[in-house]
Amino acid sequence: MEQALNIGTQIDWIVLVIYMVAMLLFGTYFAKYNKDTNDFFFGGRRFTWWIIAMSIVATGISSHSFVKYSAMGFKYGFSSSMSYINDWFFVPFFLFGWLPIIVYSRIRSIPEYFERRFSPSARFFVTILQLLYLVGYVGIGFLTMGKAILPLMPETISLFGFQIHITLMGLIWVTAIVVGIYITFGGQTAVIFTDLVQGAMLLFAGLLVFFLGVYYVGGFGEFWNILPTTWKLPFAGFNSPAEFNSVGTFWEDAIAGSVGFLFMNMGLIMRFMATKNVHEGRKAATVNILFMLPISAIVVGGGGWVARAMFIKNPSIFPQNFTPDSVFVIVSHILAGPGVFGFIIASIAAALMSTVSTLLNATAAIWVNDVDRPIRIWLKKINKKDKQDEVRAMKVARIATACFTLLGVLAVYAFNSYPTVYQAHAFFHATLTPPLMVAIFFGAFWKKFTPAGLITTVIGGISLMLLGNRYPQELIGPIAHGTPFDPVHPYTYMAALYNLIVCTGVAVIVTLSQKQLKKLSHLILNNSKNKSIMYIFVGASILIVLFDLVIVFAKLNILPLPATFFLTLLMSGFVALITTHFVKYDAEAQTVGLTVWSIHKAKEWFKGRKLNEKEGEVIKVHFKVVEGDEDEINFSHKDMNRMAAEPGDLVYISDTRKWLGGLKSCHSVYGKPHDEDGVVYIRNLHLEKGLFVPGTILEAEKEM
Amino acid sequence: MPTFFNSWLPFLYLYIGGGIFFLAGLILIRKTKAIDMRLKRDRFWWRVMIFGYFYFALFHAILIIAALYW
Repeated sequence: MEQALNIGTQIDWIVLVIYMVAMLLFGTYFAKYNKDTNDFFFGGRRFTWWIIAMSIVATGISSHSFVKYSAMGFKYGFSSSMSYINDWFFVPFFLFGWLPIIVYSRIRSIPEYFERRFSPSARFFVTILQLLYLVGYVGIGFLTMGKAILPLMPETISLFGFQIHITLMGLIWVTAIVVGIYITFGGQTAVIFTDLVQGAMLLFAGLLVFFLGVYYVGGFGEFWNILPTTWKLPFAGFNSPAEFNSVGTFWEDAIAGSVGFLFMNMGLIMRFMATKNVHEGRKAATVNILFMLPISAIVVGGGGWVARAMFIKNPSIFPQNFTPDSVFVIVSHILAGPGVFGFIIASIAAALMSTVSTLLNATAAIWVNDVDRPIRIWLKKINKKDKQDEVRAMKVARIATACFTLLGVLAVYAFNSYPTVYQAHAFFHATLTPPLMVAIFFGAFWKKFTPAGLITTVIGGISLMLLGNRYPQELIGPIAHGTPFDPVHPYTYMAALYNLIVCTGVAVIVTLSQKQLKKLSHLILNNSKNKSIMYIFVGASILIVLFDLVIVFAKLNILPLPATFFLTLLMSGFVALITTHFVKYDAEAQTVGLTVWSIHKAKEWFKGRKLNEKEGEVIKVHFKVVEGDEDEINFSHKDMNRMAAEPGDLVYISDTRKWLGGLKSCHSVYGKPHDEDGVVYIRNLHLEKGLFVPGTILEAEKEM
Repeated sequence: MPTFFNSWLPFLYLYIGGGIFFLAGLILIRKTKAIDMRLKRDRFWWRVMIFGYFYFALFHAILIIAALYW
């Protein structure tokens, strides 16, 4: 049970408050960069790789937080770094598959991709899963934040004569309000820039605690020698203990977690979409995984590692009855003086806020694009081809952000039953990632994957996953690689493998049975009672899903497991048939440009004409503002030749100051060339969009 | 001294199991021409991806050896 330890001083409190207020002001300053929802959600697609790589550090670190990794580092040693150094396996799929697909298809959210690739019903199901995933992630973020700050607090504070008892949930409510304010007004640009600062602070704070700790125990040699060998290994035991083992972490984190983070985390995807082009996105992702994540492993786990060495040397410096989740705060307090301790806690709390704010921004994007707009189209309030009403959309985005902040806090109540944040997060990943992971993977990489495959994966796959949750020993036990059975939280990690197997199995079988399903659908269609037959299938499917839900949540044993499992498989077959029968799907048209097999076509669509892949130079030019409101800019013949560009190609112009990271920049199209070398003619819209300062030199490069 | 089961087996499981996914990704992007080896930029990324796999494997191997023998 977490408790207030009252270990902060007044100076720490002052530092904490100043830091929070500064971040709040810094974030809301960027509201001026939000001209429309493209700016609010994607930061205008203008940033260079290093700014995104750095801002991802803050997002990544705080979601895989100091609290949980220090706790695991304290208990199990260097193996707490496992989750940070196992993300490379899906890089080819991401860099040359998913990233170009999402950028070139100009989608604004992952569910929108599913509508274009499959059907509106696929978008509906994926929207629900995405919102659950993001709200759950927000909940984990709030829980971690509360656990980081709570030990600082006194047990009660007196305000206007009222004695207020400090609780974990009370603290989470207060921090949720602060986060809600800056993300509601600042948008994606605010998130990127606050993350940039917070990422740097966070690295500094984590490394500071680690090096102070090493110094405290007498230098690196002493630190290394004091620790037992098993504790220094970079991997946990192969299949034990139940709460932390290598094989479980492989399936839950290296597979499900890595894909979840890179492919499904809409907050992170929006970061990559904020880079100026796909190449910069690749650089940001690569630098982040190759260099920033290993450093982050030390930053987040280091507190726990030095705490163990300090504990071996002198256990009396630690308070009695402390929980592993509070170890980072305790060790920081021992090592840092007043004020410095406040800074460390402030930087952690602020970074945790940045993760949450990223996710809230993503959730709002999904709400605006995938819920609000489709509902308005369905209610015939707007036409499908109408342009987005930007003022209204911004208002909806802000209200949605506030509402999802609230839902995120409510989600904390579900995760709070787990003994550590690490296990709560693992359960969350293992449960929600597999169906979406299979949907995204097969959608983007397998042309034959159909709407029937997708929807059956979601409905049938989740039902089979629920059965796994209800009968873990029978269904997960045989594939658990000998990991011990914990009756309270059974197979928290290995559930990911079972869930992946059932979701993949359903997806593959249904997709490969497409011909048979179509034949059956035609047979039913030719029957005079075809509607009644289909309604029977729909009714039976609903009944079986309800039956599964009842036996799982009410823990009833109505039928033996084999019969229940068979019924669920039967229901999956019905869902596949129903989807094949009702959903219109043109396999040829709906895969072009939307799978890895036709990336070239996607690029052409993005550009709107044939590609020009000649490699040109990056040039520096002065700019002149000319009359007109067309979105094109004009260079001289000579400058066009240097850039290997032709009229109609896409161009990116930016301020030459590299440290701005592309903040002052914009995209446009090459217009007809002129004869004034070294000068680019831009329009007022480019001046406003790029916030260029008159008299400055710009850098121009051909995008494609 | 930790047994093979708790020292090298997790390493092998990670890099063989993960390696299967990694290799599948490399083959797929080549087969679909998502990576265009005629372009200098794409050839660079190909090398980076392969480097990354061995970089992490070597990193983990050094850490295990250091823990066991240093």
